[in-house]
Amino acid sequence: MKAVFTFSLMTLRMLFRRRTLWGILLIILLALAGIASVPSFDVSNQGRFILDFGLFGIEVGALLLALGLAATLYPRDRETKTLMPLVAVPLARWQYLLGRFLGAALVQAAALLVTCLGLMLILLFHKLPIPGDLLPATLLIIVEGWFLLSTVFFFSFFTSPPLNWPLTTMLFMVSQMGVAEFVGLLPSAPGLMRALRMLLPHADVFHIKDPIAHGFDVEPVYFLVAIFYGLCYSAFMLSLALAVFRRRDLK
Amino acid sequence: MIKYAFLITITLLSFSGCRSDYDISEVAPADFLESGENQEHVHEGTDEEATAERDNHGQTGDENSIDEHVEASHAGHNHAAGARNHGTQWFFNQPWAAPFIWGKLFRDSAIFLGLAVAIFFFSSRKRRQK
Repeated sequence: MKAVFTFSLMTLRMLFRRRTLWGILLIILLALAGIASVPSFDVSNQGRFILDFGLFGIEVGALLLALGLAATLYPRDRETKTLMPLVAVPLARWQYLLGRFLGAALVQAAALLVTCLGLMLILLFHKLPIPGDLLPATLLIIVEGWFLLSTVFFFSFFTSPPLNWPLTTMLFMVSQMGVAEFVGLLPSAPGLMRALRMLLPHADVFHIKDPIAHGFDVEPVYFLVAIFYGLCYSAFMLSLALAVFRRRDLK
Repeated sequence: MIKYAFLITITLLSFSGCRSDYDISEVAPADFLESGENQEHVHEGTDEEATAERDNHGQTGDENSIDEHVEASHAGHNHAAGARNHGTQWFFNQPWAAPFIWGKLFRDSAIFLGLAVAIFFFSSRKRRQK
């Protein structure tokens, strides 16, 4: 595991040097500031509006970060021929994948925490209270971001980056749909659609922006269940990615 | 990949209760769904009064009277804070508010984790055979 941690730290440093990360982070923070600057017209629930749309903005930011950070990692390693010497001697393929994933996951988590801090500052600026569950809600979005990251890795092993973006975005959108909505896409085959939906993740598990915005308490055990679900699904996607990667001919 | 997909499908189908996905509204116990329905129609006053009120507004038929009716009918009852009420089913049919599906979530998580471990070892074994 020492090799994995060393490689993940190398990945982390490499990603921090890239301008993509800072560009996406700037866009998310500007979007949050834009959301907060929408006038309330004396409606008393502006805090609710900022929280709801702010957390949605952070969630979309998680998708952008996953794509921006990971979509080009493997293709670039292969193009620049740095992949072959890495997997030839010092690293097994699973170590390469896990190292790259952990590095990108840490960078993504740090960036999302910065956006959470940005949202807190915006609330303070508007003299609005900061709900206690804002940080746990961001933690759930971070876990959702890790799931998206593993999806990006999965697609990156057999598609080009321009195709990875729409595929991951499509999976992101489909995973937001309920079973009834998903079956409605092909009503003539409900059994097949239900079986397919079972394999797709339930992204609504990570959404607690509604109770936070409306002042409801979420039970602490729910956070544990949701985090466990996200981590297990990410592990599943990574294992699929590894299965594809192990079959790739790198010549 | 086809072999892995087949393996995943067979494994999932072998679990009873994993043969189809679920919506919260489908698997929710009756008392969870009915908790909002009952409160939704609790008005102060009798049904006859409400019917008479509706008839009166029906005779006048202008928009203002319809607004007044809505205000009157909603003003006649109260909902406890945090309880289901008019049109909030979407809000309460979310995983955070439905503890009865947390067990299913945990079960799904365990299945996905098991599949991940199986695929990890299965894919490495195939490679060594080559």
